[in-house]
Amino acid sequence: MLVRERMQSPVTTIPAEASLQEACHLFQSLGFRHLPVMEGGRLVGVLTDRDLRWATSSLCPTPRGSTDFVRTAMSSPPFTADPLDPVEDAARIMREHKIGCLPVMDGPEVVGILTGMDILDALILLTGVTQPSSRLEVALADRPGELARLTAFLAARQINIHSILTYPAPDQVVHTVLRVGSNQMRPLAEDLLKSDFNVLWPPPKPWQH
Amino acid sequence: MAALIHRPDYARYDFGPEHPFTPARLSMLLDLMRELGHDLQPLAAPAATREEILSIHDEAYVEVIEALDRGEARPDAERFGLGTPDNPIFPGMDLAARWLVGGALHGARLLMEGTEQRVLQLGGGLHHAQRSHAAGFCLYNDLAVAIQAMVDHGWHVAYLDIDLHHGDGVQNLFYDSDRVLTVSLHESGHYLYPGTGHIQELGSGSARGFSLNVPMEPFSEAEDYLEAFDAVVPQALAWFSPQVLVVQAGADAHFADPLGDLALTTQTFQALYQRILTLAQRHAQGRLLVTLGGGYEAQVVARVWAILMLTMLELPLPEELPAPWMARWQHLLGPDLSPHLHDPVPAYPPLPGREVRSRHNRDTVSRLLDTMSRYWF
Repeated sequence: MLVRERMQSPVTTIPAEASLQEACHLFQSLGFRHLPVMEGGRLVGVLTDRDLRWATSSLCPTPRGSTDFVRTAMSSPPFTADPLDPVEDAARIMREHKIGCLPVMDGPEVVGILTGMDILDALILLTGVTQPSSRLEVALADRPGELARLTAFLAARQINIHSILTYPAPDQVVHTVLRVGSNQMRPLAEDLLKSDFNVLWPPPKPWQH
Repeated sequence: MAALIHRPDYARYDFGPEHPFTPARLSMLLDLMRELGHDLQPLAAPAATREEILSIHDEAYVEVIEALDRGEARPDAERFGLGTPDNPIFPGMDLAARWLVGGALHGARLLMEGTEQRVLQLGGGLHHAQRSHAAGFCLYNDLAVAIQAMVDHGWHVAYLDIDLHHGDGVQNLFYDSDRVLTVSLHESGHYLYPGTGHIQELGSGSARGFSLNVPMEPFSEAEDYLEAFDAVVPQALAWFSPQVLVVQAGADAHFADPLGDLALTTQTFQALYQRILTLAQRHAQGRLLVTLGGGYEAQVVARVWAILMLTMLELPLPEELPAPWMARWQHLLGPDLSPHLHDPVPAYPPLPGREVRSRHNRDTVSRLLDTMSRYWF
């Protein structure tokens, strides 16, 4: 999944010499929290709603007023992304620098913007929860062929997999969470147990033992 | 008293011998009623027409089902959720589904004409079906078609779903309608199909506050379930003040159901049905339309839905199941069937983690009520 698939485009930008009043109006009327700041056709910074609130707060040592330029309050230099970056790399940059958006650049041109919300949308899409589906969680041994064994098992039963997520657990085990297009998970879990899979969800019913 | 709707054609809604949603569940139930000496004579409703189906479903979707019904191959079937292990293709599937929709719709008409106050449709409850997507054993959404007809009649319609699974199809189809209140109690979507039904799903636009969801922790028992029901459903109905209450009465929240993890008993269901009758009387001008729904363990659905029918018909509940009936259906009921209508008390050994689960369920309900107080008061 690439940045260009998840970014918002076209982008609303603001000139560096616009007033903070104008920026405030844009935030309010469009419901945005980030505005890329342009000067001479180039991206020079990002103004966030937080930048604006701090700059105009009476608690700020150098408070700015509504007629001051956006340039005086923006975050600069901006971190940016390439449309062809994988979203997970963009997510890591945002997390490392604790920032809420990345303007997306094609050469000098701002072609899109990726925000924390877009990353959440990506997560929702990746986990498959947008479709009617069931959750299956299996602990697989961390060695080649285990995931294939599981997916082959599902394929043999004509069960469509909407998503697979894996994450490491202690003891050389990989927790594997699948969303599958089936309503019949308990019978499936019982079959998996019989084939020596360590099924974490759904668990056996306490009264059936 | 209640009017019953059923016809033998409902048995045509059959995904095959391996599939859990089998029409044998109904044959067993009707036979049990006969054996108990009740001559029920249910009303036979006409099949819903294509136009009636189109009041809810997209034409492109209906066309695919019609083609599959005729035995034509449709390579795009899976895109519509058809031809999967949950929703297999079978000849005659369009008409089979229209029989079920017709029953629910007929029930709605009886209520709208004022002929009946209480109707029980012995079948259907296909609450997962979406506008252009089959899901979870459901092709056409009989409930939604009936609800839409009553909305067009000018009514406010309350929909209550006590199936094990979230009533996602009905919720989605009326998500932006403030004429329809949907309330679903179910095992939490964090764990169970279809993965939705969280307390934050409240409806959209002017219909915000008109979708309510009460997700229960896996292995929740009667006490928690009834406590949540009592905390949410009466208030919601009192606030909405509908002209009719529609209920999807799936029986799969029973502890012995093979697909789910809730732990209700036959006694819990009886208590629920009595509450539903009272609520319809008190808040829905006495009008009640009930359909069946999920429920995949033969001996459970026979007993639970027998209790539903007898309660709605205000007939006495027998202590014992008739021996001839048990003998006739032993191949489906299994060899270990208890001869009693109700589950034994206790029905199962104490479940570990009960206190943690109860606390979690109470927290969920109070978070939901906190949110709803903004709309209700």
